[in-house]
Amino acid sequence: MLQVENTLFTLVMLICFASMILYFAFIAARRDKLARAAVALQAAGLALHTAALVCRGIAAGRLPLTNQYEFATSFAWGVSLVSLIFVLKFKFPVLGAFSAPVTFLIIGYAAMQSREVRELMPSLRSNWLAFHVSTAIIAYGAFGVSCVLGGIFLLRERMKARGFLDQHIPDREKLDVIGYRSVSLGLLFLTFTIITGAIWAERAWGSYWSWDPKETWSLVTWIVYAAYLHLRIRRGWRGRAAAIFAVVGFICVMFTYIGVNTLLPGVHSYA
Amino acid sequence: MKKIWKFISSMRFAILLLIVLAAACSVGSLVTQGQTADWYARHYSQRAAAWIMALGLNDAFHSGWFIVITGFLCLNLTLCNLIRLPKLIRAAKADGRPENALRSEGDARAENVADPKAVFRALRMPAPVECRDAEGREALFSAKNGAGRWGAWVCHLGILMLILGFGLGQMTQRQYTVYGVPGQTRQIGDTPYCLTIDDFRVDTHEDGSAAQYTTDITVANTASAGPDGGSASVSVNHPAALAGMKFYQNSTGWAADIEILKDGALLQSDTLCAGEFLPVADRPQLVIMLDALYPDYAILPDVGPGTVSDRLNNPAYRYSIYYQREIVGQNVLTAGQTITVNEYEIRFVNPRPYTLIQIKVDHFTWLALLGGLVTLAGLALAFYVQPAKVWAVRSAEGGWTVFGQSRKGGALFRDRFTAAVEQNNRQSPGKE
Repeated sequence: MLQVENTLFTLVMLICFASMILYFAFIAARRDKLARAAVALQAAGLALHTAALVCRGIAAGRLPLTNQYEFATSFAWGVSLVSLIFVLKFKFPVLGAFSAPVTFLIIGYAAMQSREVRELMPSLRSNWLAFHVSTAIIAYGAFGVSCVLGGIFLLRERMKARGFLDQHIPDREKLDVIGYRSVSLGLLFLTFTIITGAIWAERAWGSYWSWDPKETWSLVTWIVYAAYLHLRIRRGWRGRAAAIFAVVGFICVMFTYIGVNTLLPGVHSYA
Repeated sequence: MKKIWKFISSMRFAILLLIVLAAACSVGSLVTQGQTADWYARHYSQRAAAWIMALGLNDAFHSGWFIVITGFLCLNLTLCNLIRLPKLIRAAKADGRPENALRSEGDARAENVADPKAVFRALRMPAPVECRDAEGREALFSAKNGAGRWGAWVCHLGILMLILGFGLGQMTQRQYTVYGVPGQTRQIGDTPYCLTIDDFRVDTHEDGSAAQYTTDITVANTASAGPDGGSASVSVNHPAALAGMKFYQNSTGWAADIEILKDGALLQSDTLCAGEFLPVADRPQLVIMLDALYPDYAILPDVGPGTVSDRLNNPAYRYSIYYQREIVGQNVLTAGQTITVNEYEIRFVNPRPYTLIQIKVDHFTWLALLGGLVTLAGLALAFYVQPAKVWAVRSAEGGWTVFGQSRKGGALFRDRFTAAVEQNNRQSPGKE
């Protein structure tokens, strides 16, 4: 089963790359047909990615959410899923073109991690693991998309001519609302992640909050996005400031995910 | 003074506090917590150590400035919620009344709509009520998701409960640790209870790594007052509650029995966990310490004495001998070996794992948990229950003008509104 997962993972990487190239070609050649093909390929990649995760879960006899490789590949799956939903819901293929490289980078990071299936240490043998990590994947995926949307917003500000991209990117007001929707989804799931993590920590370590670096940076991320929401409410701050905060928020997400694990070891060091 | 209160309750202050709090948390996570000035001087620099100690960054999350920031955040949230409460109640009361909406222009508007009720349906609004506007014209009105207005308020309330629960818990909680091997009984801190370790088991995976640690405990009340104890099994992720306390399987380590013989006869014996020491009974200046126990002893390259697995294949004991608080000897003993110090012969036997149980009393965990759930509910309300109103007014000529308003929907609501009207016009073009 692990062999199947390995093959599927390689296929997913190739499809993700091909989908990214098709999205770029759509922008370069300015042909909508290419966008439709890219979206179809992204959907196919997502289906195979889901199958790869299922295979790994069967091989490991548990949810594949417990080490760097498993979280990275699930994170890429989350970004791809949320991006695809937003592309289809808002008929916005340019979003796919900007989020595909993010997905590809995360898959690339996953490919560099050890794929060995290890037995779980006692503290990880909990039903709360499924709730805690799966909600984190959706949260991180949504924040990844909101970062891309923030970047598109800032890019749109600099676009003057009424060109192809201008026609395919929603106006700034709509971009701001779509970005808000993405952050809302992410923040709701991040709150879920923090709460389920706290309940789990209380049962496993006897303390629901111990200012471990991972916990602290999850809180920092939560606060940055809370500031984003408040900035949007204040008149005159909607748009550019909110877009910058969406990008800063995702930098916090990435630091929480990779930076904390490598620079600030704590009780989450296995994550 | 009024200006100060206005600023403290303002959103500008809230944003400022959030940014300062995020920065404070970042600094607290980047500086290793709970170390001494010497430690910081060794690892950073003398100057950095002075700054860290002066600013309380060595214990950032319990420092005065961190508590002040959190206190201001609570004050801001409380004032914000108090100020908004009457406005929300008024808005909630007005939600069901069409008069206010009928006087406004809404965010979206479409004229000459043939079948306004179809637009209401397309926007998934509840069935509209029939009414009349101020000029007596026939009108339809529908509103939904009024509860969504309360989202931010509920979320703020949840955060306040969470901070309060956490703060009260930190101030009042009591924590103890008890460790030992099966058969040992230890007093639980300053409580009238003692804990007996009845059994300790380590379940392993096929590769030998630990799968679960389980300790069977009995808690007994040594005083007449207070609730009785009882017996329970405690394992990782499965704490037990006894006598108003919560017991957690925290960690494990290695222990062994120490036997001290004098002139060939057993003088004393005891159980030592790694890190514990024992003064010799008839010469207390002489102290034997069990520094570490290696279950599968080997000399590891670049490390020295160590263990190659957690299995008891080749136990060895690293010990130190102190005389009048001065170290006089240190070495590793393998199974069967003894130490001879003057007339004393010392040996370690019966190596086995010990268990460490953490005991905690926190009466406010429930408040923090409830706060977290209320925060979550508030966010769900704020993000996914979006208040919307749609109304239609019939002109003197007979055509309908439909209006829509969604406080949070913005451009996306306008798009949906336009799509609903266009769909309606396509389905009944003749009636336009």
